[in-house]
Amino acid sequence: MMPTQTQLLLRTLLFWAVPLLLLALPLVTNAYVQFIANSIVIFALVALGFNFVIGNLGQLAFANTALFGLGAYGSAILVNSFGLPWIVSIPLAGVAGAAGGFLASAAALRGIRLYYLAIITLAFGELMRWLYVHGKSVTGGTDGMGLPAQSLFGFSLTDDRAKFYIFLVVAVLLFKATLNILRSRVGRSVMAVRENEVATASLGIPTARIIVFAFMWSGFVVGCAGALFALHTSYVFPESFGMLHLIVSFAMVLVGGLGSVIGAVLGAAALTILPEYLRSFPGMEELFFGLIVIAVLLALPDGLASLLRKLSPIFVERYYRE
Amino acid sequence: MSNLLEVEGLDVRFAGLHALRDVSLTLAPGQIMAVIGPNGAGKTTLFNAISGYVRPSSGQVRLRGHDVARLSPHAIAEHGIRRTFQNGGLFPALTVLENVLTGLHAQTEGSLVDVILGRSRALASERAMIAKARDLLSLMQMEHMADTRAGDLSGGQQRIVEIVRTVASDPPVLLLDEPAVGLSPLARDQMMDIINRMAGEKGVGILLIEHAVELVMAGADRIMVMAAGQHIAEGTPAEIREDRAVLEAYLGHA
Ligand SMILES: Nc1ncnc2c1ncn2[C@@H]1O[C@H](COP(=O)(O)OP(=O)(O)O)[C@@H](O)[C@H]1O
Ligand SMILES: [Mg+2]
Repeated sequence: MMPTQTQLLLRTLLFWAVPLLLLALPLVTNAYVQFIANSIVIFALVALGFNFVIGNLGQLAFANTALFGLGAYGSAILVNSFGLPWIVSIPLAGVAGAAGGFLASAAALRGIRLYYLAIITLAFGELMRWLYVHGKSVTGGTDGMGLPAQSLFGFSLTDDRAKFYIFLVVAVLLFKATLNILRSRVGRSVMAVRENEVATASLGIPTARIIVFAFMWSGFVVGCAGALFALHTSYVFPESFGMLHLIVSFAMVLVGGLGSVIGAVLGAAALTILPEYLRSFPGMEELFFGLIVIAVLLALPDGLASLLRKLSPIFVERYYRE
Repeated sequence: MSNLLEVEGLDVRFAGLHALRDVSLTLAPGQIMAVIGPNGAGKTTLFNAISGYVRPSSGQVRLRGHDVARLSPHAIAEHGIRRTFQNGGLFPALTVLENVLTGLHAQTEGSLVDVILGRSRALASERAMIAKARDLLSLMQMEHMADTRAGDLSGGQQRIVEIVRTVASDPPVLLLDEPAVGLSPLARDQMMDIINRMAGEKGVGILLIEHAVELVMAGADRIMVMAAGQHIAEGTPAEIREDRAVLEAYLGHA
């Protein structure tokens, strides 16, 4: 069932109402809950960007963590070595991520697909980590690099509540832009490539350009998220951008729902909150985490987003706008 | 009649196989030319070579006098030669309307920045294309299926939606690779009716690969016969019926 006109209106209202309501969140959180909320916003962006390539474009590319690291290190280096205000580093970190996405797309364009693409993009991530470790003079090596206290228009950005407002604004903008893309000829072409690349070209759609764009947009979103992450933890070090991060963000995409925008939020929220509840089982956390992810995927192969779609057609995605 | 599409001396070689040998043809606006021949004759390869999916080792493809051979598939499609696929080329996870909209990609205006920022220029063009896609679907009495997933349609409906998507941009040349295969006799007649209307009303030049000989005898203006990669005969349906070479190479096997 597709949403009706009224339901579409309701959906637009919901899109803006949720972040507006969230503006009140810092009023009711303690420091711990606020930190978790900030993590969720960042990981929602990570999952959104990752999903664009694996869910919407349908390419098994695992450059996501490399692009996230590129954004985080890019932001920290711009702040530390170039003295830029952190806020200015956000779009630049996005550009760095997009550039990384461009590199990753080069492999896909050469006809490298599936497992080969997966391995090559994984290697890309490990190569980046090697650079962080060995580029000591710029990156601080294994010790990593701290971010000095930041402020914006005289307001201090050291408190997690203050950070939350900025994270939220960035996230809303990037989610809105991604939805704009998906509900346009560009987004339809991205998904057409996933469905049938040969037939897509027969419609006059430049498939190579579409693939490059999808990787770059994914990199832009994830790169921006990296800049947010740099401020969030006020410290970047190589270990944050390893396999574990990749596996967790991959699980977020799958648990939320492959190709689903709202799924990115749900997956990020679920898998950021879950480990907090598992803290009471020391030594068993990873085991339970893995088992729960597997159970969810077996019960809901299309992720948590499919539950929402069953609940109401409001959540059925429509890739056009009248 | 002036020529819309001219194919001259097209040669395609696959490793160890000379799949197309010196094939030539011309197509006029509004003309329906059927391409027949036994399995493996090279009919689909001819379409692939014209539409840029396989690179001819020699030969020319001219659309209104412009050489388009050796361009990429999307560039050839943008020039106005559009095709369907023997095994179907719909996007199953997209809806019928979304599928038809992909056929209007090149017509939709607004830069990438307009799209990302959701600017009115992109939105207005998008709305116009949606209206056009809905009109096309209602011509086929399919407007009520606009929001159905293409993968949920019957085989016949999928074939029709693929054709709607392919003609949405009003291409001057259409290559249809066995569009009626697997259709019921009724759906087949409907399909031939659609093809005739496109040629008659819109002046589209159509190359049509079709196995059902009665169908092409009734529906095509001209018939071209292929065997073993070669163009072996061409004429009106009446002429082809009388042709000895055709009887031996093709109709004898059919
Ligand atoms: N990409 C390809 N690589 C190698 N051989 C091919 C390729 N495409 C088609 N062929 C061969 O070329 C011949 C003609 O095939 P095709 O054009 O599909 O025939 P038809 O459409 O007339 O049934 C067949 O022998 C087929 O196996
Ligand atoms: Mg064939």
